[in-house]
Amino acid sequence: MILKDLIFLKFEKWLKKEFENLSERDIKFVTDSGISIKGLYTPLDVKSDYLENIGFPGFPPYTRGIYPTMYRGRLWTMRLFSGYGTPEETNKRWKYLYEQGETGFSAAVDALTFNGIDPTNPDGDAEVGTSGVPLYCIDSMFALTEGLPIDKVSVALVVEPFSSAPVCAMYYNMAKIRGIDTRILKGTTQNDILTMTVGYVPYKNVNPYHILRLACDLIEWCVPQKNVPKWHPINFTGYNYREGGIDAVQELGFVFASACSHIDNLIERGWKIDDFVNRLAFHLSAHKDFFEEIAKFRAARRIWSKLLKDKYEARDPRSLEFRFHVQTAGSSLTAQAPKINIVRTTIQALEAALGGVQSLHTNSYDEAICLPSQEAVLLALRTQQVIQDETRIPNTIDPLAGSYFVEWLTDEVEEKVWNYMDKIEKVGNIAKALDSGWLFKEMRDAFHRRQTRIENQEEIVLGVNKYPVPYDQTTSVFRTNKEAVRIEQERIIKLRERRDNEKLERLFDKLRKVCEKEENVMPIMMEVTKEGATVGEVCDIYREIWGIWEPPIAI
Amino acid sequence: MSKKIRVLISKPGIDGHWRGGVVVSRGLRDAGMEVIFGGFQNAEQIVESAISEDVDVIGLSIHSGAHLVYTERIINLLKERGVNEHFLILVGGVIPVKDFPRLKDMGVANVYGPGTIIADIIKFIEENINK
Repeated sequence: MILKDLIFLKFEKWLKKEFENLSERDIKFVTDSGISIKGLYTPLDVKSDYLENIGFPGFPPYTRGIYPTMYRGRLWTMRLFSGYGTPEETNKRWKYLYEQGETGFSAAVDALTFNGIDPTNPDGDAEVGTSGVPLYCIDSMFALTEGLPIDKVSVALVVEPFSSAPVCAMYYNMAKIRGIDTRILKGTTQNDILTMTVGYVPYKNVNPYHILRLACDLIEWCVPQKNVPKWHPINFTGYNYREGGIDAVQELGFVFASACSHIDNLIERGWKIDDFVNRLAFHLSAHKDFFEEIAKFRAARRIWSKLLKDKYEARDPRSLEFRFHVQTAGSSLTAQAPKINIVRTTIQALEAALGGVQSLHTNSYDEAICLPSQEAVLLALRTQQVIQDETRIPNTIDPLAGSYFVEWLTDEVEEKVWNYMDKIEKVGNIAKALDSGWLFKEMRDAFHRRQTRIENQEEIVLGVNKYPVPYDQTTSVFRTNKEAVRIEQERIIKLRERRDNEKLERLFDKLRKVCEKEENVMPIMMEVTKEGATVGEVCDIYREIWGIWEPPIAI
Repeated sequence: MSKKIRVLISKPGIDGHWRGGVVVSRGLRDAGMEVIFGGFQNAEQIVESAISEDVDVIGLSIHSGAHLVYTERIINLLKERGVNEHFLILVGGVIPVKDFPRLKDMGVANVYGPGTIIADIIKFIEENINK
């Protein structure tokens, strides 16, 4: 009798004698994405062939991690998403975090920078610096990075395709002027089409058809054209739509469907898959369901590897590496009893560490109330440092591999994601899935489902629907600088006086032609931003040539 | 039978956090109210829509941190038009509880922060509407 048969017999016996007659709590034992969970898993549940589907870190299908040594070689980057008030104030916060041990920077930008609105425009003047750092012109980039070793430490610019070209061009020009060769420059641009569409609705942006092209312009110019070859020109950000209430399976379905549309676009431009795909990166959520999130990270690596190998016939093993940043789930935090948020964030950070993440943001406990205070953000950084420096968790690679449950769940998540990707593919490429409203409806349904589950107490939220408490009055509220709007308006006005406006007008005409012909905007963007063009001016040209898109929002 | 309660849900400014506004809109609609989802609107557009659509309730969804500025602009404009008493004004979003009294002093009837149960909003509207 072979071992599996013996286990099967003993398991059946145990089930009958010990388990079936006992009662269980009267709840549904399911994951957040609705996968039914058994009380016990045994070797019988692990269907994956070890060599084919699990394997070794640093080798396809990368289930166990993308590097052979993982955290024994290099710990994940501690990168806190941070920005507020003015570039100068954000620079101070970045310096403080760097001194406290942060190992990467990440710029949270304000809504005006996202939407290409200048601070002199009354549409958004009240939001200058309220939810991120204002980065409206090249001068802001110098102020943001002043005194920071951006030639060694990687910087994430969290802007989306509508404004990523001018913002990145400003950054690269700043680096060049500081004497840094852009070929060694390390960092990431979020550049994610779904963030400023279904993640947050866009304000006066352009049609997704052009947004997709703009995202691919940056990828093409940075990577295969080798202008900033070490940069990650896109970071497919499942995190942002996951926050809206979609589940782990939908999160991976959205990012992979989106990644395929970008790959297809670059292949249409004549590039080979191995020319660029290794620089595409991902940004996922670490949400509330502990094991499902770990299974999701492991499944994501395997899906990406198979997708690139089978569908796109990538030859270089490095093309199959799924590289990702994680943010703990902001939507799991509460304004009621905010100190519980410290515990939530710790557990979610653990998911990321056990899931083989490359870079991690941990939320501050006051984020359901205001932008993070310095005290709260330091605690968030320390949370990661406890895991890295005190727990010895990074000592071994993918420590949950071989768990009957985790391997089984990884397979389940993978299968559900492939099915969901097929469903999206039937709708069309990602731009069509947006323009037709299909993705908006998926999001809306998720909003409603999540809200109903919380109201029906199917999903427990401590402090809200179990042991409810009033809003906490004791946590101090961090306020952004009220002077930011005046400071930023003055910065732009001074710039407009200083720059060669006639030359800039000629360059803007060139940009108009590039837009009309649908050519890559990056070369001309490097010229206009160097001459002092603002993000708002560039985006106004996009609007003028391509028109404003009304997102098909469904209630 | 009394006429249906009419509600305008609007997002002042340019910040695109849309979940709150959509979830509340759907919740109120499911409770039998007529909901007009205005999306992004500036103060003038909100006041214009509220008057022309003859709504009973104006719901402002604000996650940008600019809730004090936007709410004040809208209420001042309603006062200029002499119609501020006609509407029950509600504000929701990521709003620190310390700002609740300041918003209420401006004339906001109630404020809803993160973790709000929609049934509470429905109950409040039904109890406080000027019928």
